[in-house]
Amino acid sequence: MSNLAPTHEDRLYWPVQRQRNRSLYGLFVVVAAFVALYAYLFPGLLSVAGISKFAQSWLPLALVSMAQAILMLTGGISLAIGATVSLGAVIAATTMMGPLGVPGGIAAVAFSGLGIGALCGVIAIRLRLPAIIVTLAASFIIAGLALLILPRPGGAIPGWFSDLLAGNTPAALILLILAALLWKLYLATPLGLSLYAAGENPVGAYRAGVPVDTARIAAYALSGLLSTLAGLFIAAQTGSGDPVIGNAFTLNSIAAAVLGGVGFLGGRGTMRGAIAGSLLLSVMINVMFFLGFPPVAQYVAQGLIIIGAVALPEITRRFRRAR
Amino acid sequence: MSKSSVKAAVSALCLGLFTCMGFVSEADAAAKCIKGDRKAPYTLGWANIYSVPTWMKQTEGTIAAEVEELKKQGLVDKLVITDAQGDANVQIQQIQSMIDADVDAILLIAGSSTAPARVIADACAKGIAIINFDSLVDTDQVTAKINTDSNEWGDTAAKWLINELGGKGKILVLNGPAGISVSDDRRKGANAALAANPGIEILAETNTAYNVAPAQEAVTSLLFAHPEIDGILSLGGALSAGAILAMDKQGRPMVPITGENARQFLELWKDKSLKSWATMQPNWLGGFAAYTAVQALEGKDVPAFVKVPLPVIDNSNIDGYLARAKDFPADGYIFSPYDEKLFGELLAAK
Repeated sequence: MSNLAPTHEDRLYWPVQRQRNRSLYGLFVVVAAFVALYAYLFPGLLSVAGISKFAQSWLPLALVSMAQAILMLTGGISLAIGATVSLGAVIAATTMMGPLGVPGGIAAVAFSGLGIGALCGVIAIRLRLPAIIVTLAASFIIAGLALLILPRPGGAIPGWFSDLLAGNTPAALILLILAALLWKLYLATPLGLSLYAAGENPVGAYRAGVPVDTARIAAYALSGLLSTLAGLFIAAQTGSGDPVIGNAFTLNSIAAAVLGGVGFLGGRGTMRGAIAGSLLLSVMINVMFFLGFPPVAQYVAQGLIIIGAVALPEITRRFRRAR
Repeated sequence: MSKSSVKAAVSALCLGLFTCMGFVSEADAAAKCIKGDRKAPYTLGWANIYSVPTWMKQTEGTIAAEVEELKKQGLVDKLVITDAQGDANVQIQQIQSMIDADVDAILLIAGSSTAPARVIADACAKGIAIINFDSLVDTDQVTAKINTDSNEWGDTAAKWLINELGGKGKILVLNGPAGISVSDDRRKGANAALAANPGIEILAETNTAYNVAPAQEAVTSLLFAHPEIDGILSLGGALSAGAILAMDKQGRPMVPITGENARQFLELWKDKSLKSWATMQPNWLGGFAAYTAVQALEGKDVPAFVKVPLPVIDNSNIDGYLARAKDFPADGYIFSPYDEKLFGELLAAK
């Protein structure tokens, strides 16, 4: 939006943001309430160590939720996120102690994520195949690759790197803020600008000269990158690689994005919503622990909280309209 | 875990120079992770990976029963249970919550053999007793590990089957999930015996969850592809039940098959008059872990690794197991009886 004339920007930017935020207020309130409840139940959260440890649990889910949201904004979806996370983790755990070292390992993880994402994107977009099928097939291939690289949990990450990312410092929180800022920056680039347009009204956007296909493929590449980076962080956090560690992230990333108001049809939703959704899913686990819920009750409570958080904006909207 | 953060944790817990020295000299006598600053009654946390399978519910039953016993003795006042719903990342998060809540001991069935290593080291540094059982973690930062020997499981099963087939025949190998160390170790255990008997031809291998339905489905499709099968090396009890059901549905003749103490498998074994072999991953490893945690917290030295022997179930003693079948869930595991006396003996055995 910064490419437009400043006066336009002033007139358009904030109203658009306000409109996008409106449906999110309900979620923000719920998330804030849960974080407050967590801090009440566990006052240690408000220390540096407390917030650091919590951010470490949250970051991987936040990253994959962003990865999923990027795709959903363009009208796509990925069922390969979990497998890609596992792949990122095993690449990190098998390269970082070798001759490539930590920088080489990070590069290998990043390039594999970008490459796999872009490949999925090219297949789905250029061949006009349904994203859900392409990424489902890709998930089997990627999961197989991860198992080929590391048939069973193992590998290692240099201790100092683990301590740097997942020690008693808020590095995870800083990384998340950085990722959110980079997302803002990306939205200001031509490809980023095209993202919403390509998702909301691809035909209209195409006629208006927006590089729809390129924007969508770029979204797949970025989504792959975020997924493998989430895997890298998990490898650092756990000090090792596990070829099936990411499995649960596929569904959870979709849950977080939808919870955050990102629509399945493209063009609807915000990254802040998806991140808030992931925060709710993550903080919920700790709150239920400190409330002492038995496991069976946790399943029920989790479902109720998710339905409640999705329904709340709708209920408040109707309530407002009725008045 | 860096040395500096261990030091920080230790110094935070030590109130003065004298208590620090006391800790250092005590550390040699007590079990790993134990600092002697925790007093009964203790809070135990069970960090489970997945509570839904019947095997896990039965295991939870043995933990709850042992905790009741320990409550009567005034040693435990609370049991906290978490369920990571199969997600190793969530399990780490829940172990972190247990540390935050300052439980006295963590009983752990790990969802990944590597992932929880760092968070466990954190817990160990805070003086929390960690008893890791069933699915183990590759770390020595635990008070004790309790398990049967998965390699031996696979080795004994393979030897029995090879012997049964006279060293020659076509077999299927049924494994647990790929990328899980228990299933990998059982399979690896079978390798030596299989390699020594070139007459044994492996037609196909499967990787499924340790459940009847997926195993039945996988074996069904393999039966279509392989008209002639002489034996099945099944490395899990529910897998064996699934295989027998699949063969029965297609009217295939029964072949020698290995397995575990799954009630369904043992009943099919008797029902179809099979010649089989099975062993047992006892559910009471859970109760035993709870007992061991309290022993360690009470200052007793416990071995770093407690190897629980694998029993043999064959045609000579299967009736003994089936006689108690009604006490166990239909899709559960018929485990051997246990008591604190047995636990004491297992801890004393070197």
